[in-house]
Amino acid sequence: MGGDHSEVLQGTLDLMVLKTLESMGPLHGYGIARRIEQVSGNALTLNQGTIYPALLRLEQRGWIKAGWGVSESNRRAKFYALSPAGQKQIEEETGNWERTAATMARFLAPSG
Amino acid sequence: MDAIRILLSRCAALFRRRNLEEELEEELRTHIGLAVEENIRRGMTALEARTAALRSFGGVTQTKEAYRMQRGFPSVEMLVRDLRYALRQLLRNPGFTLTVILTLALAVGANTAIFSIVNALMLNSLPFAHPERMGAIYARAAGSLAFDERIDIDGEQWEALRDHVPALISAVAGETSGASGVNLRAGEHVQYIHAGRISAHYLDVLSIHPEAGRNFSEAEDLPHGAKTAILSYGLWRNIFGGDRNLLGETILLKGEPYTVIGVLPEGAITPLNADVYTALQPSREGEGGGLNYEPILRLRDGVTWQQADAEIGRAWAERAANFAKYNHGARLSYYSVPLQKAQTGELRPKVLTLMLAAGFILLIACANLAGLALVRILRRTPEIATRLALGASRWQIQKQLWVENLILALGGGLAGVGVGFLALRGLLLLLPENFLPVADVTLDGRVLAFTLVVSLLTSVLFGMLPALATRKMDLRSSMASRAEAGGYRLRLRQALIAGEVALTVVLLAASGLLIRALIHLETQPAGFNPTGVMTAKASLDDARYHDPAAFRKLLDESISAMQQIPGVQVAAVGLSLPYERALNDAVTIHDGKEAGQQFGTDVVYITPDYFDALQIPVLLGRRFTAADGPNAQPVVIVNRSFMRKFFHGAIPVGRTLNKNAVIVGVVDDVQLSSGLNPVAPLMTEETMYIPAAQMNAQLLPLVHTWFQPSWIVRTAAPVEGLTQQMQRALASADPSLPFSGFYSMSGLLAKTLATQRIEVALLSAMAGLALLLSMVGIFALVANLVAQRTREIGIRIALGSSIRQAMIHVGGTGVRASFFGLIAGLVLCIGALRAMRSVLYGVRVYDAPTILAVLVTLIAVTLLATSIPVLRIARIDPAKTLRDE
Repeated sequence: MGGDHSEVLQGTLDLMVLKTLESMGPLHGYGIARRIEQVSGNALTLNQGTIYPALLRLEQRGWIKAGWGVSESNRRAKFYALSPAGQKQIEEETGNWERTAATMARFLAPSG
Repeated sequence: MDAIRILLSRCAALFRRRNLEEELEEELRTHIGLAVEENIRRGMTALEARTAALRSFGGVTQTKEAYRMQRGFPSVEMLVRDLRYALRQLLRNPGFTLTVILTLALAVGANTAIFSIVNALMLNSLPFAHPERMGAIYARAAGSLAFDERIDIDGEQWEALRDHVPALISAVAGETSGASGVNLRAGEHVQYIHAGRISAHYLDVLSIHPEAGRNFSEAEDLPHGAKTAILSYGLWRNIFGGDRNLLGETILLKGEPYTVIGVLPEGAITPLNADVYTALQPSREGEGGGLNYEPILRLRDGVTWQQADAEIGRAWAERAANFAKYNHGARLSYYSVPLQKAQTGELRPKVLTLMLAAGFILLIACANLAGLALVRILRRTPEIATRLALGASRWQIQKQLWVENLILALGGGLAGVGVGFLALRGLLLLLPENFLPVADVTLDGRVLAFTLVVSLLTSVLFGMLPALATRKMDLRSSMASRAEAGGYRLRLRQALIAGEVALTVVLLAASGLLIRALIHLETQPAGFNPTGVMTAKASLDDARYHDPAAFRKLLDESISAMQQIPGVQVAAVGLSLPYERALNDAVTIHDGKEAGQQFGTDVVYITPDYFDALQIPVLLGRRFTAADGPNAQPVVIVNRSFMRKFFHGAIPVGRTLNKNAVIVGVVDDVQLSSGLNPVAPLMTEETMYIPAAQMNAQLLPLVHTWFQPSWIVRTAAPVEGLTQQMQRALASADPSLPFSGFYSMSGLLAKTLATQRIEVALLSAMAGLALLLSMVGIFALVANLVAQRTREIGIRIALGSSIRQAMIHVGGTGVRASFFGLIAGLVLCIGALRAMRSVLYGVRVYDAPTILAVLVTLIAVTLLATSIPVLRIARIDPAKTLRDE
């Protein structure tokens, strides 16, 4: 693994998936995984498999919905879409992240 | 909300598992497919594209597993899977499984049976309301004649208890050893039934209210009060057909009319367990002059036992002071004890000893099973190592092993309940009637809970070793090697065997000692000739025989009728027989240098031919004759013990006892059940015989409330229909007097030694079980060793070792283990057997024949258990074993 690659932080994967679905609309698992890799500029090493338990978790919480459809290359695939509850969750989580990031930034900024 | 939704979705997943599994499969296939397509578009070859896709996906299996964990209840699913796997594993090894279940069934069964008795005697409440408020009275004294036991009281103590202890409802019963037999005349029939004599309020103490009628009143319980009776429900139904009009009517009991005043409710249980109850009418005279009343108590509401004890102490203060005066200031104190404890007091140590023995069996079984499980785990090392290599965690392996143990424990426990039930039924059949002071012994919830806990405990004990063994398992070497038994594990197994052999030695020695004691009791010289004697008892607790003349007439007529029976040589009557308990009374020496000394002695009234009928040798002086009648000089005959103890061996013939009774003869001692100073169940005791014809009118009714006299006939050869002829002979003297039972002398001996026989039977069964388990253990150790080392032995033989050397090499392992166990067991015996001193008669704790028998038994069993598997070595073909490499 390259030095500039980092593991996905626990808990952040959920938000990434939700955000991806918000910007891309309904998408299958492979699409979501590829999109996350692209957005992060391949800085994240994502075992693509790990998004499936995450998708199931989000579905169980009611933040996303799942259904079978057909992919661009005519494969039967399971598509995921954001639910209204998921939309609200994104706002809440985004707020949390921004507060955390701001706090961290204050700690990391050179003092004085 | 969220939590509920997740829970529902997970629950749904449990049931839709197959479908969901297919969906997951398809989704992941699509994922890989899409990735491959994209990679091909980027210019990779099909193979490269697939490899790259799989690499960026990560582990497919791990993803599925993580997904499943998220989806349902992984723990439940996994448990089901572990259970299924464990069952498969166990079924694949039926020999092992069956051995374990059988071993457990025997060990757990023994424990279940014994525990159900402990439960019935000590844990279950007595079948009365608020049993914790019921009690009995104990007396405790310190010093040289220290004792601490349940007491019976006399009439004076009873009056003080009744009138000056307001904290208690007190009552007394007249029979100190259960109900006594009496005759009830119902229509033309005379029925022999059990009667209990109880004071007023006895049923109040038990909190039993008659279903019809009432309890005895205090007036009815006064001396010379009205004769009243309360019937048990069973008697009322069976004899009187449940007739409600019976209340107020009279029945003919003990030859007198009694007014029926009450009927007990169905299923009512009393400590006396009688068919009919009459008012005791306690007094200070006669029976009440001695300690012949058995008190039971109920604490009144709002009072404590401490208060009650204090009141009893005050009420009987004079008694305690007298005791101190005559016993060098020894302090005597009275206190109450819960009724349950008082009723089971004597059986308690015996039952707890058996429980301990059962615990030994369990430990032995555990040691065996641990050894077996250890071998099994070693054999499974490659399988376990493979599973570890495939990514199973050590925790998962451990869990799997424990699940298997759990299944074995539960299976064994279930079989154990079955074995326990059968053992208990068998045991209860073995016990004489009314041996246990409880109505029934059942496998109730508490017993089943105990069995479950014991089974689980067993599985923990025998599962621990193999579980520890896998923790040390090294992956690489385990997969490579063919699971050879390491030296340390062999030593561990040998230690287990040694441990179980040690416990077996203790059990064997203990049961051996009990057997020796029983043999001693049964073979010590009886002092008479028991063969060819038949006896029969009848209740003379009957108003018609309160008159000595009527009593004499009955004896004369019945005895001469019995003499007429063809084949009968001698017939006689005696108040009690050898092997039985005799009446105790005080006797005073009237003359000589011992004049004025008073002693306790057994007293037996007899007819002149009693000594001939039993063939008791007359040592000095003469027998009684027909001339020793009511108006003749009062005479007595004493036995050898009486002469030795009270006259220090001087010839007592011609001396006078109790003012005017002259000793005319001395007879030999006979073995009897001791009442005076019971140090052994069967012993000789100082005895005074008096002619039945000289029984006075005061004593006669009294002795017959306690004792049923025996008619004795001696025949040269067995006589066809002897008992019927005896009954007819009695009927010729009194048609309404039935015999209550017929007893041969060997039957009486068995009855007297029933407790000892049961102890021997139970402990021997336990020791036998222990021996069997140890034998299986040694056998398994050596057999496994032969199986594991077949290759090594083959090589040794190929290299020139003889088969004999190979046999000794392998068999030595079992013999050594057994030998160390034997030594350890003997060391244990030194301490453990001392506790048995009080139940051993005529045999010392360190008894050479017993130890020798234990040694021989164990050596024989060890050799047998080792030689069977070792002989298999002879069939090893070195060429074949080497080819198999």
